[in-house]
Amino acid sequence: MKAQEIICIQCPLGCRGNVMTGGMGEAVTAEGHRCKEGKKYAQAEVAHPVRILTATVIAEGGTDRLLPVRTDRVIPKDKLRACMKALAEVRVRPPVRAGQVIVCNLANTGANIVATTALRACHRPEYYP
Amino acid sequence: MHNGFGLFYFREDLTGPEFAQRFVKKAVDLHVNLQLETMVLSITPERVIRGCNEKGTFEIRAKAVVLAMGCRERTREAIMIPGTRPAGIFTAGTAQRYVNVEGFIPGKEIVILGSGDVGMIMARRLTLEGAEVKAVVEALPYVGGLIRNEVQCLVDFDIPVCLGHTVTEIFGSQRVEGVAVAKVDGNFDPVPGTERVIPCDTLLVSVGLIPENELSSATGVRLNPLTGGPFVDESRQTNISGIFAAGNVTHVHDLVDNVVGEGELAGSCAAEFATGKKRIGRPIDLKPGRNIRYVVPQTVTCEKDVVLYMRVKEPAEQVSLKVGNILQKSFRFVKPSEMVQVEVLAEEWSRIDPQTCELEARCEARRAKK
Repeated sequence: MKAQEIICIQCPLGCRGNVMTGGMGEAVTAEGHRCKEGKKYAQAEVAHPVRILTATVIAEGGTDRLLPVRTDRVIPKDKLRACMKALAEVRVRPPVRAGQVIVCNLANTGANIVATTALRACHRPEYYP
Repeated sequence: MHNGFGLFYFREDLTGPEFAQRFVKKAVDLHVNLQLETMVLSITPERVIRGCNEKGTFEIRAKAVVLAMGCRERTREAIMIPGTRPAGIFTAGTAQRYVNVEGFIPGKEIVILGSGDVGMIMARRLTLEGAEVKAVVEALPYVGGLIRNEVQCLVDFDIPVCLGHTVTEIFGSQRVEGVAVAKVDGNFDPVPGTERVIPCDTLLVSVGLIPENELSSATGVRLNPLTGGPFVDESRQTNISGIFAAGNVTHVHDLVDNVVGEGELAGSCAAEFATGKKRIGRPIDLKPGRNIRYVVPQTVTCEKDVVLYMRVKEPAEQVSLKVGNILQKSFRFVKPSEMVQVEVLAEEWSRIDPQTCELEARCEARRAKK
């Protein structure tokens, strides 16, 4: 058994806790994190770290150059760069509505890329959304 | 653009645009009269607002005003880094706009001065966009921003951090060619002989934020040098009757959830004021004591539950935070970049000795339990 300090990144509190891992690197116990989410995060982090990816894709023909996007679920940490590469090729054409799926199953992670804001196709309506 | 917004307010993990749009939608649904692309030029103590937009100038007589101008970034000039003045020196916020909104990358080999949240988030963003972040340089002996950002922005991407270092010179004639980095001593002065040059084409400065109070001070709003924002009471009213202030204009926050909370508070109190409700109470001043840089609000008229926001001066472990003799709360860990909040209940205020007109907030080591 090996002890590993894991700082939780689920919320701004940033709890520090320890995870004991077994021979295969799997989490056996986790302690020191103040909530259930933290414990879950810490156990996942030692075996299989995951992250949400936020990025932008290029918008063509609207009022904005870029569309901010996110993955709709966590993806393996080591796939972040592969996902960015895949996103570099993507072009969207406004209008786009917030929450719209832009790419399905990004770089075979099982996660979809969704728009986090709406994009207008033409200039200056009264208000932003 | 990144996620982590709204964890407390909505209990959801939202990105910046998602978080902002929920409030934009609320305002639009409530038919709030929004004057966009409009600038306020002056506010008088009698609450006459003068402003202008493309239609011309105008004047509004307001019953109550809420100041919410936010804050701006400190620049290279503000911290006076010696050297040449080539292209390639940006504040982290400018770089953020280029990368996230305009679609330009500010450079290929980047050094970031300052390890606040914006600096660390830009380190990750630029790395993901294909630039090389050669170092994050921080004068303090610890990382300035939230620990979660240190983990997910710097550690995740193996970005080198030079703690206890600063940028002492910028080189380059047309474009930045490199920066000199040196160790600093206890007074943050560079230690001679410890300099080394890091070749790079871009320097981002992320060295703190300043509340935007030019308009407020011209109105006669009294500013607190410790926060850079107005002195406010628990309703976020400034020294001028009917002028309130909320968010980063009162003091720089680290979480947007707290900014929203302050905005709601100031908004409802301003509405009460405008409709003629008066607050009566005995004002008590809150003073920062040991290891406390500031307390917001600075004055409390002790008639209801009040949340106090405080920032500590130095990181400390296992501490006890005390407000006069009316409240005591334990914390495992405090650091300057993470605002401390305590709620003082109405009945706790009533315990104050009637002679007292000042309370001190202090942060002390907890006695070891055995």
